[in-house]
Amino acid sequence: MLTFYIRAVRAESLKLKRSPVWLAFFSLPIISAFFGTMNYTLNIGVLKSEWYSLWSQHTFFLCYLFMPALIGTYCSYLWRLEHTRHNWNSFLTAPLPLSTLYLGKLTQAVRVSVLANLWIFLLFYVCGRLAGIRSPFPREALEWYLCGTLGAVVICCVQLLFSLMIRSFAIPVGIALAGGIFGLYMTNRDYGMNYPYSLYCMGMRANNPNMEIHIPALLVNSAGYILVFAALSIFYLRVHERAAD
Amino acid sequence: MPTPYLVETHNLTKQYGKNRCVNAVNMHVPPGAVYGFLGPNGAGKSTTLKMILGLARPTEGSITLFGTPVSEKNRMKLLAQTGSLIESPSYYGHLTGEENLRIIQTLKGCSEKDISEVLKIVRLSEARGKLVNHYSLGMKQRLGLAAALLGFPKLLILDEPTNGLDPAGIQEMRELVCSLPAAYGMTVLVSSHLLDEIDRMADYVGIIRKGGLIWQDSLESLHARSKEQIALRVSHTAIALDLLRQNGIEAAQEEEYLLLPMMDDAYVANLCRQLVAQNISLYRIEKREKSLEDIFLSLTGKESSL
Repeated sequence: MLTFYIRAVRAESLKLKRSPVWLAFFSLPIISAFFGTMNYTLNIGVLKSEWYSLWSQHTFFLCYLFMPALIGTYCSYLWRLEHTRHNWNSFLTAPLPLSTLYLGKLTQAVRVSVLANLWIFLLFYVCGRLAGIRSPFPREALEWYLCGTLGAVVICCVQLLFSLMIRSFAIPVGIALAGGIFGLYMTNRDYGMNYPYSLYCMGMRANNPNMEIHIPALLVNSAGYILVFAALSIFYLRVHERAAD
Repeated sequence: MPTPYLVETHNLTKQYGKNRCVNAVNMHVPPGAVYGFLGPNGAGKSTTLKMILGLARPTEGSITLFGTPVSEKNRMKLLAQTGSLIESPSYYGHLTGEENLRIIQTLKGCSEKDISEVLKIVRLSEARGKLVNHYSLGMKQRLGLAAALLGFPKLLILDEPTNGLDPAGIQEMRELVCSLPAAYGMTVLVSSHLLDEIDRMADYVGIIRKGGLIWQDSLESLHARSKEQIALRVSHTAIALDLLRQNGIEAAQEEEYLLLPMMDDAYVANLCRQLVAQNISLYRIEKREKSLEDIFLSLTGKESSL
C-alpha cells in the first residue's frame, strides 16, 4: 500500500511541474502581510501588544479570505488537471487503488498548506522586525503554526471534494472564499469549532485576543472533518461514472 | 471452466435512462488477435470498451479478463496488464511528451527504459522534450498510444485510434497495431467505424449495431460471406425453386430473384434448358458479388453512417 501511495504522490508531483498556482502561493500571503503590517504601523498607538497585535492584523484577512482562497485555487487546479483533456480516462485506469490516487492529490494540497503556513510565519517575523518590534519572537507561534496547519488540512479536504464534484475552476474557489468569510461569523457566534472553514482561523488564533483555544476539541473536530470529507471524495470517485459526463 | 478468450463479456448491458446503448453483448476476443470492433457512430463501441476498463459500470452482465471475472477487488491487478486509449488521447499540455509518459510510468510502476522504447515505437523520440500543447493532433494520438504501450501490457484497448490522423498517420497506426501481437505478444481490441480500416487491421471482427453485437467471427468468415452468386429472374419463381432443389442446388429467394451458388458455365446452360423445358421463361441471368461493404450495410442497416 505504501508503494502505491508513493507512486501516486510522485505522479502528482510530476503533474505540478510548471504549475502557475505557485504565483498565488507567494503573492496572497505577501498581500495579506503587507496590509496587516500597514494597519499595525498606522495604529501603533492603539495596538500595544507588539507581536500579538501584529499577528491579529496579519491573520485577519489571511485566515478569513486569502488562505481559503489559496487552498481553494490549489485544489481546483489539482482536479482541473483531470477534468480537462480526457485525463479521467488515464487517471481512473491507473493500476492503483482509488483511495491512493485521492491521497496523492491530498498530499499535494497538504504540502502546499504546510509550506504556505511556513511562508506566512516567515513573513510575520520579517514584517515584525521591519515594523520595529524588538522583543523576542513569541514561543507559542509554533503551536499556532501546528494548529493552523491542521485547520488548513481540513479546508483542503473540503475543497478537494468540491473541486472533484464541480468541473468549473472558479466555482469551488468562490465557495472557499464564501466559506472563509462566513467563518468569521461562525467564529464570532462561538460555532467556530463546528465549522470546517473556521478551524484554520481558530488554530491560528485569528481574531482571538486571549490567544487561547480548546486544543483537544480542535484535534478531534479536525480529524473528524478530514476523515469524513476524504471518505466522501473517495466514495464519489468510486461511484460517479465519468463515462456518463 | 477456464475460458479460451482473453476478453469475454456475457450479456453486457448498459442503460442510461431508457436508452439501452449496449444491449446483451457477448464479446469473445481470442488471445493474440487483433479484434476489430466495428460499428457506426453511436452504436455503443466506446461504452462497451469503457465497461471493460471499469470506466463505466454495466447495468447487467459480466466481464472476464485474462480468464478472471472482473470485480472491484481484482480491478487493479487486471488494469496492470492492460493499456488503453479511449476516445481522445489523455495528456497534460503544460508538460513535455516525456514528462507525460513519466507520469504513466510512475503510476504503472514499470521500468523507466520503457519510456524511450515506446517513444521510439511511435516515432516521437525527437519530440520528447516538446510541450504537448505544441504537438499536432497526430502526435498527441501517438503519445496516447505510447502511454498505452508503457509496461507492454498483455491487452491493448484502442478506441478509434486513427481519429484525426492524416492518411500517412492512419497507415502508420494500422501497421503498428498489426505488428503488436507478433512483436510483443499483445492482444489488441481496436474499435473503428470504418470498415476498410478493420478489414486491413483485424483478424477477428465484432460488428455492433444499436447496442447489439450482430456479428462476430474471424475476418475470413466475413469475407466468405462476400462470395459470388448467380441471380436468376424467371416467370414462375416457386416452380423454378423446386426444380433447382430437385437438382441438389441450394437456392434462396431474394425479392424477384433466385440466388444460386457460383457454378460453371456448362452447368448454368443445363439448368436453363431444364427451366425452359418446364415452360418457365428466363428473364435475367446475372453474376453477383457482394462486397464487404454490402455485407456491413446489410448487417448494420443502410441508414447507419459509416
